[in-house]
Amino acid sequence: MNIVGVSACSAGIAHTYIVQEKLEKTAKAMGHSCKIETQGSIGVENQLTPEEIAAADIVLLAVDIKVSGADRFKGKPTVKVSTEVATKNPVGLIKSMEKALEK
Amino acid sequence: MQEENYLSIINEQAVEVGVAACDKETVFEHVARRLEQIGVLTSSEHFKKDLYERESQGPTGIGGGIAIPHGKSLAVKNTCISIVKLEQPIQWESFDDEPVQIVILFAVSLADKNNKFLSMMAQVARKLANEEVCLRLAAAATPQELIQALGAA
Repeated sequence: MNIVGVSACSAGIAHTYIVQEKLEKTAKAMGHSCKIETQGSIGVENQLTPEEIAAADIVLLAVDIKVSGADRFKGKPTVKVSTEVATKNPVGLIKSMEKALEK
Repeated sequence: MQEENYLSIINEQAVEVGVAACDKETVFEHVARRLEQIGVLTSSEHFKKDLYERESQGPTGIGGGIAIPHGKSLAVKNTCISIVKLEQPIQWESFDDEPVQIVILFAVSLADKNNKFLSMMAQVARKLANEEVCLRLAAAATPQELIQALGAA
């Protein structure tokens, strides 16, 4: 599956980036492609292009705050979790996304 | 613009293993004194106050027995990173409620408080998402091994 998503924690300093790294690594190890845009205190990095969003099967928002540009994902199947959930159990999270798409 | 690498600001004189501490306060006291001794801080008391200021805004424990407290402070002359591995894990607010044994502490001068510091924190955070790095930190028995663990791919 082709995942795009956003990570953003409330301080925007550490967890945003830990989540990005963990999700991208875990997804790849499980045979999926995954790109996570970070909305942290440095600003937006690893920004998703409209083409990437259009090509995605599912959107993953691992956020504790409001996502900027949420309307970009309109009409896409979307999973939203806290950064805590994404940090603690990335494998479980991706498995549940696989299931959500099977339905 | 080339990002400055966080490895270059690890202050080797402030990297220690086997530090005895019973709580967060003892750790902050220990590191602040050390940083004052080696000329990084003008005032350890002032710096500690700024560390607590940040602690009050949310947990700095990132899970897996690691914490990344950081103080942006007028008392910091040169931005640097101190790493201490404690003799025993201690209580620390974190996502997974696990006790903390490795403290990666950022001392940030006001001049660097914005982008430079933030991009370095992001680099370190991405590193710490790598389990191998965490395992190597947990296994490190010398200051050199701590630094090498953080530099590992």
